[in-house]
Amino acid sequence: MKEKEIAFIGKITAGVTHEVNNVLASIREISGLLSDILSITSAESFPRKEKFQTSIQKIQNQEKRGVKLISRLNKFAHLPDVSSTEIDLNELIEHLIFLTERFGRIKNIELHTQPAGQSVKVITNPFDLQMALFNCIEYFLKNLDAGGKVFINPNNNKDEIFINIFAEGDFINISQLFDDSIAEELIVLGEITKSLNVVTEYDSSKLSIKLTLPIKK
Amino acid sequence: MNDIHVLIVDDEEELAAVIADRLEFRGIKAQTASDGETALKMIESDPPDIVLLDLMLPGMSGLDILKKINALDLNIPVILLTGYGSKEMTLEGMNLGAFDYIMKPCDFDGLISKIQEALESE
Repeated sequence: MKEKEIAFIGKITAGVTHEVNNVLASIREISGLLSDILSITSAESFPRKEKFQTSIQKIQNQEKRGVKLISRLNKFAHLPDVSSTEIDLNELIEHLIFLTERFGRIKNIELHTQPAGQSVKVITNPFDLQMALFNCIEYFLKNLDAGGKVFINPNNNKDEIFINIFAEGDFINISQLFDDSIAEELIVLGEITKSLNVVTEYDSSKLSIKLTLPIKK
Repeated sequence: MNDIHVLIVDDEEELAAVIADRLEFRGIKAQTASDGETALKMIESDPPDIVLLDLMLPGMSGLDILKKINALDLNIPVILLTGYGSKEMTLEGMNLGAFDYIMKPCDFDGLISKIQEALESE
């Protein structure tokens, strides 16, 4: 996708997240007001008070869920704002998993990350890197049987910064595992990693993809 | 908290109104204004004890309103109501002398605490 198109989508999405945030703020305050009123209402005068109370609590739980989602979506929408910046891989991957876990849930495949013990800072294009990781996730979701698990773990040592994406579970077609001439996601992954100077290594025995990022100072 | 008078400036009228209702519920007199001109007129005619000010307003921005409140020299603490993408404006607002800021959606008890802190600091 062209830069201008990505920026357009990002800008519109970010604008909508502002509006939705205000909607959620109103829901929070309206349900809060109902709670306030209920708190001075006796159970004798309002026999369904408890049911009403638990219903308000459910609205508030959903509102909190909405705030969490919209806050992540806002951050995601701002990713195209910069073409190169310092990011923390722990944070970037955690965001991505939060936004994509629904895709896993539909296929009954769990997405996990084990953040590195320390922050893993790297200078890169955050939008492209997320897209690369998303293609890895999509590849595994398409090729893993239900009940599988996908892990995206960032790590670093003194020589390299890398992300290990690996799967646990059964592959639907093991003979074509990591065939990057067939799988569309791996073809796209190849294009993105090339533009990011990221080295991609496939390991069929570990069902893993290792992305090694260039260290820029 | 019975004698406190709060002015909420937010173009999200329903949100401002329900925050006002909740403040009234706790014995705080609350009024609302949806734009800068109205807010400044209300401040001049009946100065509130505290202003809750949204930063992203159409027309006169929250920062412009804050500057005008400062110019009135009424020593009214201002708490900024912020949303996404207003980090820089929030910092500027704090530099302009806002008492504090709170992110929308607000934690209502947190808002009450900030109002109390602001009034105690006066």
